[in-house]
Amino acid sequence: MTEKATQNFIETYERTQARLPGADSWLSRRRETAVKAFAEAGLPHRRLEEWKYTDLRQVLEKAAFAPAPAHEGAVILPDSRSAAAFAAIDRYTVVFVNGRYRADLSHTSRLPKGVELHPLVDVVHEQWARDLVERRLDDGRQAENVVDLNTALMNDGACLRIRKGVKLDKPLHLLFFTADAGASHTRNLILIENEAEATIFETHVGAEAGFANIVTDVSLAEGARLGHLKLQDEATGAVHLATMRTRLEASAHFTSFTLTLGCGVSRGQNFVLFAGEGAEAHVNGAYALRGTQHSDQFCVIDHAVPGCTSHTLFKGVLDDSSEGVFQGKVIVRPHAQKTDGRQMTQALLLSRNAAMNAKPELEIYADDVQCAHGSTVGELSRDAIFYLRSRGIPELQARQLLISAFLDEALDLVPHEMARNALKSLTDDWFAEARA
Amino acid sequence: MAAVRETVETVGEVEKYKYGFFTDIESEKAPLGLTEDTVRFISAKKNEPEWLLEWRLAAFRRWLTMTEPTWAKVTYPPIDFQDAYYYSAPKQMAKLDSLDQVDPKLLETYAKLGIPLTEQKMLAGVAVDAVFDSVSVVTTFKEKLAEVGVIFCPMSEAVQKHPELVKKYLGSVVPTSDNFYATLNSAVFSEGSFVYIPEGVRCPMELSTYFRINEKQTGQFERTLIIADKGSYVSYLEGCTAPQRDENQLHAAVVELVTHDDAEIKYSTVQNWFPGDEEGKGGVYNFVTKRGDCRGVNSKISWTQVETGSAITWKYPSCILRGDNSRGEFYSIAISNGHQQVDSGTKMIHLGRNTTSRIISKGIAAGHSSNTYRGLVSVHRKAENVRNFTQCDSLLIGDRCSAHTVPYIETKNPTAVLEHEATTSKISDDQLFYCMQRGIGEEEAVALIVNGFCRDVLQQLPMEFAVEAQKLVGISLEGSVG
Amino acid sequence: MNVKETSMLEIRNLHVTVDGKEILRGIDLDVRAGEVHAIMGPNGSGKSTLSYVLAGREGYEVTEGSVRFKGRDLLEMGVDERAAAGIFLAFQYPLEIPGVTTMTFLKTALNAQRKARGEGELDAVRFLKLVREKAKPLNVSDDMLKRALNVGYSGGEKKRAEVLQMSLLEPALAVLDETDSGLDIDALKTVADGVNALRSSDRAMVVITHYQRLLDYIVPDVVHVLSQGRIVKTGGKELAHELEKSGYAAYGADAA
Repeated sequence: MTEKATQNFIETYERTQARLPGADSWLSRRRETAVKAFAEAGLPHRRLEEWKYTDLRQVLEKAAFAPAPAHEGAVILPDSRSAAAFAAIDRYTVVFVNGRYRADLSHTSRLPKGVELHPLVDVVHEQWARDLVERRLDDGRQAENVVDLNTALMNDGACLRIRKGVKLDKPLHLLFFTADAGASHTRNLILIENEAEATIFETHVGAEAGFANIVTDVSLAEGARLGHLKLQDEATGAVHLATMRTRLEASAHFTSFTLTLGCGVSRGQNFVLFAGEGAEAHVNGAYALRGTQHSDQFCVIDHAVPGCTSHTLFKGVLDDSSEGVFQGKVIVRPHAQKTDGRQMTQALLLSRNAAMNAKPELEIYADDVQCAHGSTVGELSRDAIFYLRSRGIPELQARQLLISAFLDEALDLVPHEMARNALKSLTDDWFAEARA
Repeated sequence: MAAVRETVETVGEVEKYKYGFFTDIESEKAPLGLTEDTVRFISAKKNEPEWLLEWRLAAFRRWLTMTEPTWAKVTYPPIDFQDAYYYSAPKQMAKLDSLDQVDPKLLETYAKLGIPLTEQKMLAGVAVDAVFDSVSVVTTFKEKLAEVGVIFCPMSEAVQKHPELVKKYLGSVVPTSDNFYATLNSAVFSEGSFVYIPEGVRCPMELSTYFRINEKQTGQFERTLIIADKGSYVSYLEGCTAPQRDENQLHAAVVELVTHDDAEIKYSTVQNWFPGDEEGKGGVYNFVTKRGDCRGVNSKISWTQVETGSAITWKYPSCILRGDNSRGEFYSIAISNGHQQVDSGTKMIHLGRNTTSRIISKGIAAGHSSNTYRGLVSVHRKAENVRNFTQCDSLLIGDRCSAHTVPYIETKNPTAVLEHEATTSKISDDQLFYCMQRGIGEEEAVALIVNGFCRDVLQQLPMEFAVEAQKLVGISLEGSVG
Repeated sequence: MNVKETSMLEIRNLHVTVDGKEILRGIDLDVRAGEVHAIMGPNGSGKSTLSYVLAGREGYEVTEGSVRFKGRDLLEMGVDERAAAGIFLAFQYPLEIPGVTTMTFLKTALNAQRKARGEGELDAVRFLKLVREKAKPLNVSDDMLKRALNVGYSGGEKKRAEVLQMSLLEPALAVLDETDSGLDIDALKTVADGVNALRSSDRAMVVITHYQRLLDYIVPDVVHVLSQGRIVKTGGKELAHELEKSGYAAYGADAA
């Protein structure tokens, strides 16, 4: 007996497949395989170890999202702080509304030569795009079922290819806006060729509660560099599921930062595979939750070759009845000697009803490695508050100072200075709002 | 330094698995396989009261509906539970009044194991209960313990002499439905130790049980129950060995500890079941459920384990910190070599206020082995001011072994302070070079460095065991370098 | 009424328990503006308890008695309210606060106090100038100011940072809790010079110490001996020297 939510997705597929991008190509066959696999596995649920703390099946059964409608008319972006966070930064902008590309709202003129940026439908016939979609990073640790769902139903996304040695001169900002309730399946494809560089910002904001199932496939060729920054501040009833799968060739460099402020339920999955020696990945993030928000950060770093470095730091503050989850795993494959893999997760509980679950794992098959992980959970230090108050700082301000200092340690790792300051002021506002 | 040197020297003298001999002794077995009749047979052999038989049968029926757990990071061929003997007893052992009546072959066996049972040769201040396959051979120092009211006897004797205590506590920490192996144990357990420390008594000596699997194809299912009444204290040591055999032997024990107000139990294990040969053939499957319940306020349970044996270890000595201010500790050294697979750790369940726990785990993997730490620290909504500190360090020797760390940290109370650290490293070439330049052989140097790595845990062991454990560390790692 | 004539700090029959155990058993103390009082006593006599009670730390329960500060009931005031009113505690063990730079901390504290007193906040430029001016004589470098508060500071640096805070916040009553502990003689002199520079006719100080050594550099007007929760003797600065020779044994405690 298939669950209703799973069944709904399958029906959506059957109804719309002919109109989805690449209907007449290899992609339709790929979709067919994906939907079969998805139908068999169904939506992930808490009896699966990787989904132990977030029961997506239950969440989607309850929310029952219909497919998001295309929003053709004029769109007024909300003037929220998050939507405008990067406004002051000189950048290229690509806007998606309800998961669909809107050329009329985007600004991508004068991209440097060697930078190709297209919506999904325009690249499905290109080999590089096919390679990325068909790629499997490893033996199925990739939460394939949600990726299969995405592959079956993906109807749009930003596809960026940067040719060898080219440096994207300004950050590329992908703004995803949910104007109407509903489910959308976005697939972004990013290929950075040898020695090429890019910085990408992603903002997810919404007026309405939707289910966003985003998969971003990234390939960093030798010596390529990608800075990735994601801000998620969607509506309270929204469900956000983002999977980023990054493969790094030799000497490639990847920095990612995720700030999670919004959504009822969110899950960020980050899979990193080192396929060439001497590469480096920094996967970091911060979250600030309140109400009954639930956020799950899931992170698997796979050192399949020797001599790579990965550092992960996630910090979060949890207020009211919110719940935070961090699950991380560093895998060091046999012969991946000289690996440097570090992982840290820290959470502050601000309220009696908040909860935190952490599961930082190491899986090591090589001996000449340096791997460590750590986890701390606690409340604000009463001694520190006393010390600050004894210097005349009122309690609320003392708490805010300490919370900011706590989050700043993670935010300091944001790979773009102006963006870093923008995110810091967002977290400061978050606290101010809480006490307003 | 002198002590360390001495250890290193001793290490050199001891041969590989010296406990791998078999004692040829006539035994009485239950029919091969496992049915309700097997359960009835065991219960009848032990002359058990009706309620206990019913208890076993309920567990057995439940067990039939259960499946083996598969979440641990261990792999082994399916176990045929019908192709094993669930009860085996040395024949002459019906009833003994004194040591003089013990079969001399048995005494010899224990002497070979380094456990003298004749009281004049006893290690000072250690009372021993020796369990051979399914029955208790002898319990020493009984009278002396009885003077202060301490009950220390085989479980089967406790069932006869102290039924009210057994009935009250048996299965109260590890319920019969707990997990596949614990349920199996509840159905067929044959022997084990029973300890009761009365209110206010500090047990005057270390209590110790040595477990020995001798017979072929025999599963050992011991059941140990230790109760520390208000304000009492006991330190309990457990040692395990088995003969070298080609087939795998199953060991599925259950240990239950209960501490009342202000009581403390310190439970130490040196587990050295046969680990299998170089090719990974044979060895003991060690599927053990150990759990302590800090039922009273200010009570404390401390687990210390040195796990060097067994082909597969599946073991999570845990603490339920129910009483306010109670404390749980878990100190572990798990060494795996050859084709051994270890999946071990602990659970600290914080239910009471101001409860604290500390976890120090040292995993050493060598050869082709796999060594996993799996642990849970859980803080419930009403548990105020909980503190936990966890440190799990792994050391890898060679590039064909693996080490894994799988901690679960769950809290629902903001006043908790939970800290977890884990590291993975190898013995550095510089360290080895330094030792060897000073004239220490490579294997000795490894043993020396590994002993240093394990120091925090070795220190927790009672003196008599610490020396043995240090030797074991060296022996278990033989052949791991070069 | 002449302010000089009344006490700035007026402690009457103060009883304090910590975890149900009575630590202070009836303290009476009057400190007037311009005075420096030393409180000496063996370990466990209640010295630090007194300083924490004045600052308002949690867990110190006043079971009896009163404390008035500049005519107000101190015990009714919150921790930061007391600070804004002019009470400063130099901690024996200053806290390390990762992630908060010393500069941010100083600015936040100073402006919070100014705000509480109805004064305007200082802008960044004026603040920076002020901090540099105060930091210089104490040998507190710009680098130190940029680092997280007390994190990785040596013992001497921590104590100098405490005196810098005091000098910047200009309290009416400074309570120095074992400020000499962990300092070598040079560090002690720097700290003492900093404290002495702050002595003035409208400021009072309570110097808590186990040893007489500090009082060679910060010379008190009045010396009190605290033992088992009570002030058992009061005298002039010569009392400190006397104690140095005879120890605390005469006061019902070991000279630990």
